[in-house]
Amino acid sequence: MTERTYTALIVDDEDLARAVVREHLAAHPEFTVLAECANGFDAVKAVSERKPDLVFLDIQMPKLDGFEVLELLDPQPVVIFVTAYDQHALRAFDVHAVDYLLKPFAADRFEEALQRAKARLDQGSPTRLHATELSGSARGDWPLDRIVVKDGAKVTLIPLAKLDYVQAQDDYVLLKTPEKGHLKQQTLASLEQRLDPKRFLRIHRSFIIQLDRLVRLEQTETESWVAVLQDGTRLPVSKSGYARLRETLGQD
Amino acid sequence: MHPILKDRARLGTYLLGWVPVALLLLVAGRTLGWTWLGSTLVALPLAILGSGLFLTSWHLCRAFPLERTQGRGRWPAWLMAALVLGNLWAGCGWLIAWGLGRFPDLKVDPRAWSTPWAFFASMGTLLYLGSLALHYVLAALEQRRTSERTEQELRVLAREAELKALRAQLNPHFLFNSLNSISALTTLDPGRAREMCVLLSTFLRTSLRLGEQGSVPLSEELELARSYLAIEQIRFGSRLQVAWEVDEALKAVAVPTLLLQPLVENAIKHGIAQVPEGGLLRIAVVPHGPYAEVTVENPVDADAEPPVGLGLGLQQVKQRLQGCFGHHTYFQTRIQEGRHTVVFGIPREPKEAQP
Repeated sequence: MTERTYTALIVDDEDLARAVVREHLAAHPEFTVLAECANGFDAVKAVSERKPDLVFLDIQMPKLDGFEVLELLDPQPVVIFVTAYDQHALRAFDVHAVDYLLKPFAADRFEEALQRAKARLDQGSPTRLHATELSGSARGDWPLDRIVVKDGAKVTLIPLAKLDYVQAQDDYVLLKTPEKGHLKQQTLASLEQRLDPKRFLRIHRSFIIQLDRLVRLEQTETESWVAVLQDGTRLPVSKSGYARLRETLGQD
Repeated sequence: MHPILKDRARLGTYLLGWVPVALLLLVAGRTLGWTWLGSTLVALPLAILGSGLFLTSWHLCRAFPLERTQGRGRWPAWLMAALVLGNLWAGCGWLIAWGLGRFPDLKVDPRAWSTPWAFFASMGTLLYLGSLALHYVLAALEQRRTSERTEQELRVLAREAELKALRAQLNPHFLFNSLNSISALTTLDPGRAREMCVLLSTFLRTSLRLGEQGSVPLSEELELARSYLAIEQIRFGSRLQVAWEVDEALKAVAVPTLLLQPLVENAIKHGIAQVPEGGLLRIAVVPHGPYAEVTVENPVDADAEPPVGLGLGLQQVKQRLQGCFGHHTYFQTRIQEGRHTVVFGIPREPKEAQP
């Protein structure tokens, strides 16, 4: 029986750190290293283009951290995190990482991680989660400070300070900044979970606004309100949205 | 708050000081031919009234603090206030005497009071001046105590910042990443692996030794930074270039220990490590007036949101500088054209540095 072969990608911003993984992996001829990436942007591009089975992923990297890289990948590859930081372990399980290797790691620890990865890969695809499922799952605990968006091959980072409002569009959200709107595959509810409720408020089934962009509320008819933002945008406010607004702003 | 009223012991002492005044008034009454009872009925209320009335000199004391107002401006104010209140007080004495004059048995004669008016008025004036002097003394004492307290608080703050800095010194992630580099080098390049072990030991030994001292010559701090950066250069490879620009004459300047290290670590962690192509880290020590000016400059990710305010590490460095040198220091940070710069001054005169 011929053994199955697998493809892998190594992502770390340090040459030497990549070298360790490469060396350990060299003992397993069934694995082929497709590429090595030194930053998050390259990693997103390489994974999308070359579709490796397994990714060794560092967390602390320039531009995009490991979690942001993962968020942009659809479908998700099988991932082993390799990092010097142990405080991300819980979050790594939330994003269904196969394993979490702490630098520096022992050879048998690497073997163990690799066997787990093989076991998951051999099970077939069901463990490959899609980005929408992922962002809708247990990810609410990790507050955002920026949002990553992938548009074709281009990755954009949107600092929360730049975000005016978010609009739901079917399976996507439209993230509106002063310059333009960015589409991202995510539900409004899952995004809402990760935004600071003191800064962002859901004013309608389809809209979340950044509170300091709100200039005034206009009453169009009885029990019907419109939020006017700094740039003049007018967004509908639902009854429950109006109640939330009053509660939040009333506290100040 | 009023320095006499807020403290019971002080108030007691102050009131005790009025007893001789009351006795003097009693004698004065007797001299004017009033009965014992009559004299007491004038002297006692008048002394009590005076003790209360002259507490108001506190306001004058606050309006004209000795250390801020200069020269003669305050003399007329003092004299005027003393004359007005002295006469007011004497006037109150006359009113009491006038009231008691209705009881002939007491033999209190208000006319007998108005004759030696000048005596009572000058007595009041002098008493007011005395009370004023007392308030100035108390205010000075009070001020010294507060300034001592703030100084002490500052010192405690600096000490705390120091302890935190020392605790953060053994940065575990730096250690783990370095060990990981060594782990990679053992097969790739055993010679360099050994070199890195030595560098790491030197760094750890030096930082432990410096951690035990209060202040060290700047040269030691620079040496520590050098061994730290040598390790990081192995880790980051060509991504980290370092430029040194150190005025030899300033190497002996005394600095609080492990002051530079957090700045250099920040430059790596928030600078070089966040930029894919890395860049140049510049460390400069140049003379700037009475100061040795230290600059740490590094590239930052131009696309990242600039941080709001000082990070914890930078804040601690600033606090320690202020705790050690008070006003004889400065600390500035800026981000310009993709580069983050920290600049601070240390007094070149070694006397100014406190351990």
